[in-house]
Amino acid sequence: MACSLPLSFAFESPAPCADGAASADAELIAQLQQGSEAAFRTLVLRYQDRIYRTAFSLLRSAEEAEDVAQEVFVEVYQTVGQFRGTSALSTWLYRLATSRALQHRRRAAAKKRFAYFTSLLGFDNQVLHDPPDHAHPQALLEGQQGLHLLLAHIGRLPSQQQVAFTLRHEQELSYEEIAAVLQTTTAAVESLLFRARQTLRRHLQAPARHV
Amino acid sequence: MSKPTLRPGSDQEWDALLHQLRQAPPAQPRPFFYARVQARLATEASSKAGRLGWVRRPAYVALLGLLGLAMSGDGAALPPAAAAPPSPAARLLSH
Repeated sequence: MACSLPLSFAFESPAPCADGAASADAELIAQLQQGSEAAFRTLVLRYQDRIYRTAFSLLRSAEEAEDVAQEVFVEVYQTVGQFRGTSALSTWLYRLATSRALQHRRRAAAKKRFAYFTSLLGFDNQVLHDPPDHAHPQALLEGQQGLHLLLAHIGRLPSQQQVAFTLRHEQELSYEEIAAVLQTTTAAVESLLFRARQTLRRHLQAPARHV
Repeated sequence: MSKPTLRPGSDQEWDALLHQLRQAPPAQPRPFFYARVQARLATEASSKAGRLGWVRRPAYVALLGLLGLAMSGDGAALPPAAAAPPSPAARLLSH
């Protein structure tokens, strides 16, 4: 974890810069709770990339990721008074981002099911197949088949496994940080990651199918 | 470019894939993200105020009703008509 991306939490072996980041975040929270607009601006600028990236990793849609990231910061602004500092600021933000992203995904799935149902009844003429998703920048730039396939299979993992895998392999959070975000134990995170990797490797080894 | 030396499904291939995932150009929000967050906050605040207006409206109606009731009870407090001095015509009729 780079010092430029502070993710402080009460870990057994904190990064050298973790203390500084924690105190900076604590100061920011104190200013926010006093209603400082400047502190809110600082918070958004400090965390917008990480929150957006987390939402994007879970949704694979720029538009939805933007929506989720905005919702997260609006919620922070409205509820910062209730933040007691029992977890790190970054943990709180990641928790909001992942839960909001999963909420969006569930809503989208429900909409899709409804659209399918109404189309069966002949109420509309919507297209039912999934639109092709070429949104990942790397897949766009280099057209890497393997990466594209991996991203598609990550999107099909159960929610908790997907969050754990994304936070570990895309956001590069430690097991302890992921456990704090998911409000679970490190052992549970290890188990989630193990199962996610097993599933992904099994799918990637299987003969290429339509994704 | 594909790497023919890597066996499909091997640990090396898996590691290479995860490496690619980490090295992918990071997704970023469009410029002026903070301005859009502020606009959203303002929209939410105004819609909340609108909702509060609807909450207040029944209170206004109830207040108006109470005022009406209070005004309608004034008749009972007026002096009774018998206490008023009789008019000259009434006096003539009584005799």
